[in-house]
Amino acid sequence: MIMSIEKTWRDIDEQSDEALLSLLQPKALNKLQSKNPLSTIRKNLLRNGIMGIIIACFYIFILIFFPYWQIQICIAAVLIFTVWATAGAFRLRKAIDGNIETLSLLDEMQRHYTNIQQWISSQKWAGLIIYPVSAAGGFMLGGVVGAQKSVDEIMSKPIMIWALLICMAVLTPIGYFLAKWLSHKAFGRHLKLLKQNIDDLKEKN
Amino acid sequence: MSEAQFLEAVKNSQGIIYKLVGLYANDAEERKDLYQEVLLQAWRSWSSFRGDAKFSTWLYRISLNTILTQKRKSSRIDYMESLEAVDRASSEQTQKREEVERLRKAIRTLPETDRALISMHLDGYENPEIAEVLGITVNHVAVKLHRCKQQLANLLKQ
Repeated sequence: MIMSIEKTWRDIDEQSDEALLSLLQPKALNKLQSKNPLSTIRKNLLRNGIMGIIIACFYIFILIFFPYWQIQICIAAVLIFTVWATAGAFRLRKAIDGNIETLSLLDEMQRHYTNIQQWISSQKWAGLIIYPVSAAGGFMLGGVVGAQKSVDEIMSKPIMIWALLICMAVLTPIGYFLAKWLSHKAFGRHLKLLKQNIDDLKEKN
Repeated sequence: MSEAQFLEAVKNSQGIIYKLVGLYANDAEERKDLYQEVLLQAWRSWSSFRGDAKFSTWLYRISLNTILTQKRKSSRIDYMESLEAVDRASSEQTQKREEVERLRKAIRTLPETDRALISMHLDGYENPEIAEVLGITVNHVAVKLHRCKQQLANLLKQ
């Protein structure tokens, strides 16, 4: 039976696929773009890094032109976190190699799994830290711009303090779970399949 | 090494890509995506190929690593259900092609990592080579291979 299987398997060598043959041309080769998950994450991290720089510049502008210490504290905090997250995005991007390496299959799958997990973790931390502080800053800034009053005047009413606290209490878990949901939506199924294949390969019996 | 040399080498070993992608892709679109990704990754790694291993073994490694880290959907199928499609097509195709399709579908009922193992075995690789490419022990390869062969033989008897 196995001999016949081997013969049948060798028969596949006589077949070919037009879709594959069409790619084996010099012009086609130079047009190829990677859809590999790690390449996608690297592109995503680069986009995050560039956005981080732009947002940091915007925060510096606010720090200079809105001289209210309450806003400045929140924006300064969010600026520090933005710079931290941006630096982290560039560091992680550098650490991730989007190319397939000639490691063993098990090592390569584990490398992918670990890198994707690291990216998801960085997204969750960014969601947990950046959103609530920027919500507080945005809340006060919105009040200053909208009502044309100082932060002291806006925050002098107890209801505004409560509104700010509720705003932060609601936005913190939302930011965290949104980041978690989005990253799992992007790579959750892929991670599950990778984990299953890693476990299958390690399984002894 | 030039692009022309690379393409020539891949053309000579294209059966590896064709066979492996056929064991994992769910549809024509995914098949094309996997071909593209394998070729791109092989092209990017080409400069690091020093000829220590055979080109076919190197391409096998790149293809398996690419396919199993790229896929986002499971591709395990039900053998009996999938055979209905083969039977319908058999009147128009040669006997050989039908057998190939049956074998491919039988292998696709195995877990994804076992497919890598059985395809290397059927392509004539020895257990130590398979163990090195997959990253497991030689004993582990032997145990898994024995189980896969039994499973395939049972399926193909049906």
